[in-house]
Amino acid sequence: MVHALRRAGGYLRRGGMLVSIRPHRTWRPSVAIVAGRRRLPVATLLNPAFERNLQAAELALERVVDEGSFSLAGVRSARYRTYLARPSQVRTYLELINPPRPRFPRGARARLNDMWDSAPRGARIEVAESLVVTALRRR
Amino acid sequence: MATTELSAYPGEGFEPALIERFVSLHHKRVLEVGCGDGRLTFQYAPRALSVLAIDLDRPSIEEAVFEQRARGPSNVDFRLSSIERLNAPGAPFDVALFSWSL
Repeated sequence: MVHALRRAGGYLRRGGMLVSIRPHRTWRPSVAIVAGRRRLPVATLLNPAFERNLQAAELALERVVDEGSFSLAGVRSARYRTYLARPSQVRTYLELINPPRPRFPRGARARLNDMWDSAPRGARIEVAESLVVTALRRR
Repeated sequence: MATTELSAYPGEGFEPALIERFVSLHHKRVLEVGCGDGRLTFQYAPRALSVLAIDLDRPSIEEAVFEQRARGPSNVDFRLSSIERLNAPGAPFDVALFSWSL
């Protein structure tokens, strides 16, 4: 990763900006059932393998700053939400994510189904995910 | 609260708006690393001067080129390449974007 950042930096003009968009490492994806203004949390998804990759990305960005070829211009985190019509779409949604994919903790998928069965008419399933944007300025 | 076409990525315009909190893409020369099928590229390219968008996945690049032929824009050069092996015409760039690829 450090090598890729260095290479990209080599193609940037002085003062140019390197921007990384990637999933947030600590704001994990979560699943909830929403009905009107009510929001019932179901589970926070797990993805330990991916968290290691994201940590490596953070370290690589820090390293090229430490090396002096970039300065940190800013970091911003954001959350985005997708609304699904039924539990079967949750599986489809997760399959759209590039591996390694997040998974439900033990028992949480069954809890989703149970909660869905008792959810009011018009309810939706909310999947909330987060990303982080890091901007580095080429020195 | 409408259920839209299923995607595991943010909605159209969400990521460009975040990027532009740090740097305007207007009339800029952009290198995008890990462009995939051009999902994000097509969102910001109309504002950019030129875009060199690379990815290692051949089917994704082919899909991006197919989509580009169907809907434009014409200022994007999609290429099958890694950043390590890139021969980069258009350099130096104003912005290097690692789109979900670091």
